[in-house]
Formats: sequence, C-alpha cells, structure tokens
Amino acid sequence: MGQQVLNAIFIGSIYALFAVGYTLVFGVLDILNLAHSAVFMLGAAVTYSLVVNYNQSFVVAAVLGIAACAFMGLVIEYVCLRPLRRRRAPPIAALISTIGLALIIVAAVEQGRPGSFFAWLWVDGANSVRFPPNMLPNPTWHVAGLTLEATKVAVVPITLALMLVLGYVIRFTQFGRGLRAVAENPRAASLMGLDVDRMIALTVVLSSALGGVAGILFGLALSDISPYIGRDSLEIRGLAVIVLGGMGSVPGAVVGGYLLGLIEVLALVQFGSNVHAGVAFAALFLMLVLRPQGLFGAQLHERL
Amino acid sequence: MKRERIILGLLAVLVLAACGTTSTSGGGGNSYAGKTIKLGAILSITGAGGVYGPQSRDGMNLAVNEINKAGGVNGAMISLTVNDDASDKAQSARLAQTMIEQDQDLALLGPTLSNSAVGVHPLAESLKTPILAVSTTGIHIVPDCNFPDTTPCKYVFRDSLGEETAIPDNIKSYVEDKHPSTGVLLVAQDDKFSSDGGTIVQNTVGQYGITLLATIKFSKTEADLSPYVTQAVQKKPDVIFITSLGGIPAKIMTEARKQGWTGQFLGGNGFNTATVSKQAGADGKGARSASAWYIGNTFTSNAAFVSAYRAAYSKDPDQFAAQGYTGIKILADAAKRANLTFSDLAGDRDKLRAAMETVNIDTPLGPFQFTSDHDVKQTVWVIAMDGQGGFTLVHEIKAS
Repeated sequence: MGQQVLNAIFIGSIYALFAVGYTLVFGVLDILNLAHSAVFMLGAAVTYSLVVNYNQSFVVAAVLGIAACAFMGLVIEYVCLRPLRRRRAPPIAALISTIGLALIIVAAVEQGRPGSFFAWLWVDGANSVRFPPNMLPNPTWHVAGLTLEATKVAVVPITLALMLVLGYVIRFTQFGRGLRAVAENPRAASLMGLDVDRMIALTVVLSSALGGVAGILFGLALSDISPYIGRDSLEIRGLAVIVLGGMGSVPGAVVGGYLLGLIEVLALVQFGSNVHAGVAFAALFLMLVLRPQGLFGAQLHERL
Repeated sequence: MKRERIILGLLAVLVLAACGTTSTSGGGGNSYAGKTIKLGAILSITGAGGVYGPQSRDGMNLAVNEINKAGGVNGAMISLTVNDDASDKAQSARLAQTMIEQDQDLALLGPTLSNSAVGVHPLAESLKTPILAVSTTGIHIVPDCNFPDTTPCKYVFRDSLGEETAIPDNIKSYVEDKHPSTGVLLVAQDDKFSSDGGTIVQNTVGQYGITLLATIKFSKTEADLSPYVTQAVQKKPDVIFITSLGGIPAKIMTEARKQGWTGQFLGGNGFNTATVSKQAGADGKGARSASAWYIGNTFTSNAAFVSAYRAAYSKDPDQFAAQGYTGIKILADAAKRANLTFSDLAGDRDKLRAAMETVNIDTPLGPFQFTSDHDVKQTVWVIAMDGQGGFTLVHEIKAS
C-alpha cells in the first residue's frame, strides 16, 4: 500500500502541474486551451532532441525546451485566441482553434524525418523514447519495502516549489494583481489603464511554460517521450482535475491533481484493475454532485 | 460491297488471332508487359503501431525494388503505395475503402494492428479484394474475419504467425527450461492484440502447471503504469506475462526492475522488434517471445534478404521487415500465375485470390504455403532480448 501511495503522490504532481496550465488560461479567459496537451509534449520532445541530436546538457536543453513552450504560448495567443477575441467569437470557437493547433503540433513532431530537428522519432522506427540513462544521476533507493527513484522523488518538491512561486506571483506581484483584475473584469481592467492583451499573452506564455516543465518532468521520470504523451491520458485527466479543484482555481488544480492521483490508485488497490477507472471517475462525479463548483470553487472575482 | 466484306473478314481473322495469342500465353507473359500491378499497404507508421509499421514498409519496398529491377512480374511493374493509418482503427478502414474503390488497387497488405484488422479485413472481404495481413497475430484474423460469423473469409490471408501458436510455444519452452509455478498477466484491455494475447495466456498456463496469481488490466493510453506494476510485483510471481504492444512492454520491464523484481518476462509478438528490445535495454535482458523469424535462420533466401536489407537501410531487418518482404513476394508470385487481364479489376482480384491459395515459394520465413485457412504453418523461433537492442536464439521449434 505504501508504494501505491508513493505512486499516487508522484503522478498527482504531474497531474497538478499539467492542470495548472489549463486553469490559468481558463481563469483569465474562460476558455479551455486544448493545445496545452501538445505544448506539454513539445517540452519533452524539444528537450530530448536537444540532448540526443545536439549533445546539449540536460539543463541547457530543458531551459530551451521551456522557452520553446513559452514561445508556443505566444503562437497560441496570436494565432488561436486573439483573432477570435477581436471578432467576439464564442468560447467554443477558441476551443476548436486550439484543438486544431494541438493536432498540427503533434503531427509536426511525429513527421520528423532523419536530419530534421525531431529526427528521434525515426532513428529506430521508435515512437516512444527515453532520455539517455546516464544523462542525470538517478539512484533508486529501497527503504522499508518502498522503492524510491530519484527522478520521481524530485518531481514532488519541484512541483510544490513551482506552485508556491506561482501563488506568490499571483497574490503579491504587480503582474499577479493585473492578472486577477483581467480575470475579474477585462473591460474594467482596461479602463484602469491595464494592457489587457498583454496580460492575456503573458498568462498564456506562463501557462505554456508550466506545461513544458510538466512535460519534461514526465519524460524524465516516466522514461516515456512520444508525440502522444499529452493527448493520450493527461488531457482528459487534466480537465477532470480542474473541474474537481474548481474551474480557474490554481490551488484547486494542485489539490485536485493529488486527489485524483490518490483516488485512482486507491480504487485500483481496493477494487482491482477491471473497474478502478470507473470507480475513480464515479467518485469524482459524486464529489461534483455534492459540490458542483469544485473543491475550491469560487465566484468569478475570487478566481486565481 | 464485296471488298468491304473481305476487309471485315480479314479483320475478324486478325482479332481472333490476337485473342488466340493472349489465351495461349499461359502465365499471361505478353499481356503483362508495360502494365502496372497496383498494390496498397495500410501500415501504422505513426501511433502505437509505429514501432512495427516502418520496418514492414521497408521490407515491402525492398521486395518491390528487387522485383522491378529484375524485370517485374512477367514484365509488369509493381507499384506499391503505403498509407499510414496512425494506428487508428477508423482511419485504417477509411484508407482501405479509398484504396479499394477509388485507387482501384489490385490487392492490399496490412493493416499493422489486429485492432485495425477487425475493421479492414471484413471490408476487403465484402468488396472482394484480396488482403494479406503481414503482422496481425490476434485471434479471428483468418479464416473467420467476420467473427462471430464463422464462415471462412475467402479474400483474407496472412503471412504472420498467430499468437495462438506463438504464445503457447513460448510458454511451453520456458516451462521445460525453468519450471516456473506462478505468474501474473499484465494486459491492455482496450487493445485487441493485447487482450487476445491475454486470453491465450489465461487458456494456456494451466496446461503447464503455472498458477496465474492475477490478471491486471490497464488502458493502452495509461500515462503511468507504476501502480499496475506495483500490483504485479507485490504478488511475487515467477513470471510476468506482457501481451501489449508499442512502448508498453519496455515501460513495464523498466518499472518492474526498478521496483526490485528479478523474475522472467514472457511476451508475444509485441516484443519481436529491435525497437522494443532497444527501448527495454538492460531491463529487458532475457525477456522471451516466440517469433516468426530469426535473423540467423538458414533458410535459402534469408541470407540474401538480410544482406540486401542491410545494404538498403544500413541496419538489421527484424521479423516485421521479413514478413513485409515476404508479403510482396507472395503477391508477386500469385500475380505471375494469375493470368491477369488488367482490364477487368474484379475478375483480376478473383484470379489473384485463387492464385494466392497455391503459392509455394522460398522466403526468409522459410518455404511458404498458405494452409487451407489462409494461415501460416512455419518454424517458430523462441528468442530472448539481449539487453542491447537485439535478440539471441533460445529454441527452434519446427512446424509439426
């Protein structure tokens, strides 16, 4: 059971980090950015390519990988969101445009040919690769019947530290105050002299950079980097996490992430693998029936 | 008037003579020259099956190039179009329909995954188009492609070794070597290949005295397999059976070794590519599976295939490349003997189908003939991952 709780804490960290990106954009724009799962994947893919194809150190590659995701955030804003916002398109339009961009990003990565930046896909005919084993020291400890792997253990404090920094930025910095003002009422924020478009662009960039961090940590700790790591199972779970935590709530996304990880693993242990996914999502449904606004559900003015 | 009759009469004689020339050509030699035999392959180049599809494609292209360079099939050139179904069942079926009806391919190869074959093969059968499976190993691929309707499918063939043969052979050989008593099965329940393999394991282990302590099911799209592996490892089995494909076997092996488990991995066709062996690395060392092909086999045409493949792609072929290569050779041999007209597509498809039933050629898989069920009967090679991305031979089991 102890090992399973560790498994839950670890995957819960990934869920939380992934979902925070979703919830940041939703909190400000009331829009689900469904390109987020592709940006998550891009972080891992760019970092891997820089390490393997361009012999960069992991740290340099990770920084550039996160920068690539932040840049992709700008693309999302300028290509998928801002033009539709200008035309007062309904939120569903942005949902579709971000799905489109996600498909393009995944296709671009999976079509990488020898000699191209994403050549890794085709080197061995593989579509799932891992970072070189000796890239970082990754000792595994066996303590009291528990297996502790360094990269997985590291994910938890990194996630919590990032969430604390993010919480501080949102609560106590000028940028954070601006962000909350835009989330509450963009028109009023604009009348008060805030550059709303700039604030939104910064939010999407921040969200995408966090998505990139989550992708890199996922690839590092789970030894799995492929064009599909965001799309296959994290996308739906990320949505579940932000609904559970309360749409637009950053603390909600963090708590929701860990809670979902825990519920899934407990359901697996208690009810077996045949039904655990159904049990886990039934539990989520029940919680939402009792508290439809989610755990940290708040009114609009309290978001973020 | 009289002169016109004479001219018409002469023309009639010439036409009859021409017909006579065609009909007496037997294998269709002269009528083939300058023609094109259009074949289409549906392969998973991307997605979960992308671990296997590229090698099948490379093997097929090698065979097409060899045949065309040697003058084609009675003078007709083979044109092969490979389409990527992205490992998606619906896309696979859409592609098949387009290739049969719009592109008017004479015959199809594929698809890569059994999960997609359950949609594609019945479609090809209903549209009376020969289709040759080159990597699908699940249950009900041949002859009952329309299962639960058990009427044998006339147009569906396969040159890939079914898991109903391979998995029991693998388990039997390991039991004879090491005498394990307990096992745990890890199976992706939302994938036909994996769940078919799981069913075969469940139905087989009892015969060899292995108690299955648990069957642990998960989704093929699961992000983190650690909780499932923890469940398996905590049962302390002698063997973990993995019937999944793509990157999943390597992920399970790596996680199980990290958690300190030192037992034996036994698997299915999902293990049988260097890509999976490379992904698993040292964690996969010793993992056993039964394969339809082994690089060092001494069949007549294998050495030439291996050397041509190495020359073309600067790497070793694997089982999927050998099966893809063999698939093209089978279709070329059938086309050679089918007396194709190149004007009546439906008729040509029927002729090709009939000719496929009597194929008898040497291939890298060994001497090849289809069984009456359109399946294979061949030597099985029990192989083990060598921990460095390759395989070593453990046992050779001759076809009985």
